[in-house]
Amino acid sequence: MISLKNVSKLYNEGRPNEVCAAQDIDLELARNKVTVLTGPSGSGKTTLLSMIGCLTRPTTGRVFVDGAMVSGLPEKFQTELRRTKFGFVFQRFNLIRGVSVIENVMLPAAPLGPEYHELRERAQSRLERLGLGAKADMPIEFLSGGETQRAAIARALINDAPVLIADEPTANLDTVLTERFLEIVGELQSEGKTVVMTSHDPRIWQSSHVNTVVRMQDGRIIGVDA
Amino acid sequence: MKHWLRRQRYLADFTLAALARRRVKNTGLIVIYSIIVFVLASAMMFSAALRHEAGTVLAKSPELIVQQLVMGRHEMIPGSEIEKLAGIRGVAAVKGRLWGYFYDSVNGANYTFMVPDDDSYDLQPGEAILGEGIGKARDFTWDTAPLFVTSLAGKMVKFTVRETFADDSALLTADLVLISEADFRSFFDLPPDVYTDIGVSIRNEREIGTIVQKAQLVMPNARFVTRSDIERTYQRLFDWREGLMTALAAAGVLAFAIFAAEKASGLSAEEAREIGILKAIGWDTGDVIAMKLWEGGLISFGAFLAGTVFAYIHVFSFQAGLFEPILKGWAVIYPDFALAPYIDGLQLATLFAITVIPYTAATLVPIWRAATADPDQVMR
Amino acid sequence: MIFQTPILALLLISALSSVVMLWAGWFALRLLLRWDLASGSRAQLEMERATDLVSTLFGFVMLAQLLSLLLYVFNADRMATLFVGAMCAVGTLNNNDWGFPTLYAKLAIFFVATMWLILDRADRTGHDYPLTRVKFALVLLIVPLVLAAGASELTYFLNLQADVITSCCSTEFTADTEDAGLGSDMSSLAPATALWLLAASGAAVALIGAVSLIWKRGTMLFAAAGAVFFVVALTAIISVISPYVYEHPTHHCPFCILKPEYNYFGYVLYVPLFLGTAFALGAGLLQPFRKVESLAATLPARIRKQVALSLASFVVFGLVVLWTIWQSQLILFG
Repeated sequence: MISLKNVSKLYNEGRPNEVCAAQDIDLELARNKVTVLTGPSGSGKTTLLSMIGCLTRPTTGRVFVDGAMVSGLPEKFQTELRRTKFGFVFQRFNLIRGVSVIENVMLPAAPLGPEYHELRERAQSRLERLGLGAKADMPIEFLSGGETQRAAIARALINDAPVLIADEPTANLDTVLTERFLEIVGELQSEGKTVVMTSHDPRIWQSSHVNTVVRMQDGRIIGVDA
Repeated sequence: MKHWLRRQRYLADFTLAALARRRVKNTGLIVIYSIIVFVLASAMMFSAALRHEAGTVLAKSPELIVQQLVMGRHEMIPGSEIEKLAGIRGVAAVKGRLWGYFYDSVNGANYTFMVPDDDSYDLQPGEAILGEGIGKARDFTWDTAPLFVTSLAGKMVKFTVRETFADDSALLTADLVLISEADFRSFFDLPPDVYTDIGVSIRNEREIGTIVQKAQLVMPNARFVTRSDIERTYQRLFDWREGLMTALAAAGVLAFAIFAAEKASGLSAEEAREIGILKAIGWDTGDVIAMKLWEGGLISFGAFLAGTVFAYIHVFSFQAGLFEPILKGWAVIYPDFALAPYIDGLQLATLFAITVIPYTAATLVPIWRAATADPDQVMR
Repeated sequence: MIFQTPILALLLISALSSVVMLWAGWFALRLLLRWDLASGSRAQLEMERATDLVSTLFGFVMLAQLLSLLLYVFNADRMATLFVGAMCAVGTLNNNDWGFPTLYAKLAIFFVATMWLILDRADRTGHDYPLTRVKFALVLLIVPLVLAAGASELTYFLNLQADVITSCCSTEFTADTEDAGLGSDMSSLAPATALWLLAASGAAVALIGAVSLIWKRGTMLFAAAGAVFFVVALTAIISVISPYVYEHPTHHCPFCILKPEYNYFGYVLYVPLFLGTAFALGAGLLQPFRKVESLAATLPARIRKQVALSLASFVVFGLVVLWTIWQSQLILFG
């Protein structure tokens, strides 16, 4: 479904503080699988995830989604692709403060201009599924850590994107909540979604819900365990 | 179209929430913005109202005024000239006018004495109609207290005051004293059958030029002042003062534009993070720009509305108290009057152009810069 | 004369527009020389991002210029009392040689900028910047126009002379003046002929528009017909429609109808006419690009939408004309 061919990413290209965050990466991500990118911090897993999710373009190399080359697309169409193909859960969840839970969940769909009530119902159903139905109208800052993460997952699901991308989703969660997160990932997979996440948490890559573990170091892939 | 409208609604909703979240920052901006609009709007409304007032008064005056000149100075005009003017084709009516200035040594003020053109006043000898400034200057204890004045010859004259002009025309009547022709001639010691000047009414306004040419042949020593000349002079006087105010205010607008650009480019960490999140979850640069334009639009709309409304109240309910000294000129009898509310589209469009356009221009580049933030910064 | 608030506002708009356009022109030159979609270099990415800025700025200039057009006519009308012989905007604009050229330049900017924005919107629907080069080549044409309009406007205002006796609409738009200018040619056209011409060109535009909508051909012809209709309609306004508004057979002025005395009726007449013409020209402008690969899916629909909008605007214009004639007390034909 997603493939990367000979992809590298340089930051601060051409300046003295040039950093090579990813180097010569070839990777194939299968549909309807759960993949975890792992490695020590600074190993390039977040950069790789950004390139998979079209948040940033590779310096060299190509990214294909469903066979179409996306790495050269103008920004506008990368955005469109992000909106339709990917749902994102960030490490710090990145919900917008001062806005209610349900409005946060609705945000990714807003630029498409859907009918308001229809969108609101869609957001409500996502929240209910994740057990947050009763808290829809609360300001986001009133939620606990686990609830915030579930709100972020609800937001990632609002556009029915086939791929869920998560960056260190369990870094701020205790064991019980991590278990709950993995259950949700399992459910999503059974619905046909593809999940890609980064994690250096052994509870994640040892979990039975995970199909593939990609191990990284110094911007290179050093092993893939299927 | 439907999608476009709904998208605008989501953007506006989000913007309103964002404005509310950053209340302190935005309140400061709106207050300064409103003050700029207020100052400019007050100056413009005030001079437009004066222009309008002058125009209304002039509409009632004769099309042409004829003055006698002797050695280039204004002289009394003999009544015999009236016949000559009346004989010119196209002239509807000719009337001798009597008016003059009087310096009142009691309070150091200048009054305008005048015999009304209009017969409907029907003033009897000994009667007078006063502008509202005179009663104030003389500290009248009641409205129709008699007016005592000492003529140049040293005679004390008493006028019973029949009425006082209403406030609403006070700009031009504040220092006016209307008296009968007989009183006027005796007060100023004038011989019979001379006039200050002659008012000529003309049937067709397009013929004024021709009539003036003909009259110049008959009366080579006279000066001819047309109503449009006077109107032009008034307009230019008011325009010039207003323009000067605007030019001065331009410095203020410039400072404000710089301030606005500064505000717009100095995004707080919180705001920059928000834009990053929005871009990461699927908002495009265009969406963020549109959202920011909504923000600028709402701020402009609020400030424009507040500034204009306050200026309206300031000018028409409080007689432009802050600008009086600059715009009206100085006099002992200072007209205390309410301007007739008068606004037109040109004023609003101009006001919009000199406030909202500089603000928008100053914020566009910072907006774009904020909107092109890399979406992957939220991952770092 | 220059110290008048509306004039200062107009000069401000011109100055800002000129600064923006100079920058846009410089950017356009760089883009035309270095644009290379295949390269992912930082320079290219920055250029791609800057196109968003140019579009936003262009929209801003366009709105400011529209405001400036209205303000210019409005102000000329108000200033008429300052000049001997001037009764309305025409007299003020005739005060020196730069008044009317400035107005025409502003009208030209309105149309050209609208064309550019139409092209820009179409360009943004394609994923490979299909029209970007065309768009920025067009910017290079617009820059001199905006600068010339600004210079002409400044010259006009600096040279306004209070003591010049100007000729106003009564002489400019009268059929039998000796110096036969364009205005008098237009007003000397017999009212009946003008109305027939208007009806005939209106019918032609409607027919060609319908063909373009149904059989998807003749769009270029439609754009040309729209332009012709614009000229015919302006002639008809001077020759016959204005007299109906004024209810006076010899008052032909196309500006006085914008005054408050006539309830700003002119705007109801001009806005649909200008919009209709702009959409028609826009449809013609997009037509050659309908086969561009990345636009092939969306552009034909967009062109048809433009044609439909143009036709709708012309229909509104037609209805306004009919209503004017119907409710007027003036009887020209009987």
